[in-house]
Amino acid sequence: MMLYDKIKTLYPQLTDHDFMTVITLQNDSDGKGDYIAKWEHPTLARPTEEQLA
Amino acid sequence: MAALIPSASATGSGTMTLAGPSTNSNQTVTIPDATGTMMVSGNMPAFSAYASGNQSISNATFTKLQFNTEEFDTANCFDNATNYRFTPTVAGYYQVNGAVLFGAITSANSFVGIYKNGSRFKDGSGSSTVASYSYMSVSALVYLNGSTDYVELYCYQSSGSAQNTQVSTPANPYFQAAMIRGA
Repeated sequence: MMLYDKIKTLYPQLTDHDFMTVITLQNDSDGKGDYIAKWEHPTLARPTEEQLA
Repeated sequence: MAALIPSASATGSGTMTLAGPSTNSNQTVTIPDATGTMMVSGNMPAFSAYASGNQSISNATFTKLQFNTEEFDTANCFDNATNYRFTPTVAGYYQVNGAVLFGAITSANSFVGIYKNGSRFKDGSGSSTVASYSYMSVSALVYLNGSTDYVELYCYQSSGSAQNTQVSTPANPYFQAAMIRGA
């Protein structure tokens, strides 16, 4: 499951707009994969590594 | 009449040469009424590169595009092997262009953007739902300090699943930059 899908499973209420503004998922094409580069959602806590594992 | 006063460099010991035209015609160079560094081709970095293979872009994830084939790189400032970034060695204002091509994509949120020093800096034009091919491009002016500043190209799409970029070398995808004014 991709990072986006894991986050949407945790927080189904997140919208495309959220991922364009207050949340940034990023992949630097360095072999390390997708990661959370920014999490500034006003009410939802940033998922922990355990939740995303 | 204005005077021309040659001044030695504080650091270099090279000789300055003003060469005449190679024809018998007289030519005139007018110096602007301003102080600054005269830019010549040798200190105005420029590059153009394109991707030669498809790249998978995860859903809703800003993904750095990999441009591994250079068309030109006048000052060897573009890394086309590891980081895919342009780090010019001359401070100034740069015109940065980029484009990416997708196949059919069912998303209203797809675009390509310029990252400066690892952060989202300027977004380009987006794409709405299309049935065939989807072109996205970006063009912006970016100041780069000539030492540590760099730019990269990232792509975003939220179609609901990963999408592959489409390749039509050397037309697309591409990444370019050129100095247009010194600092």
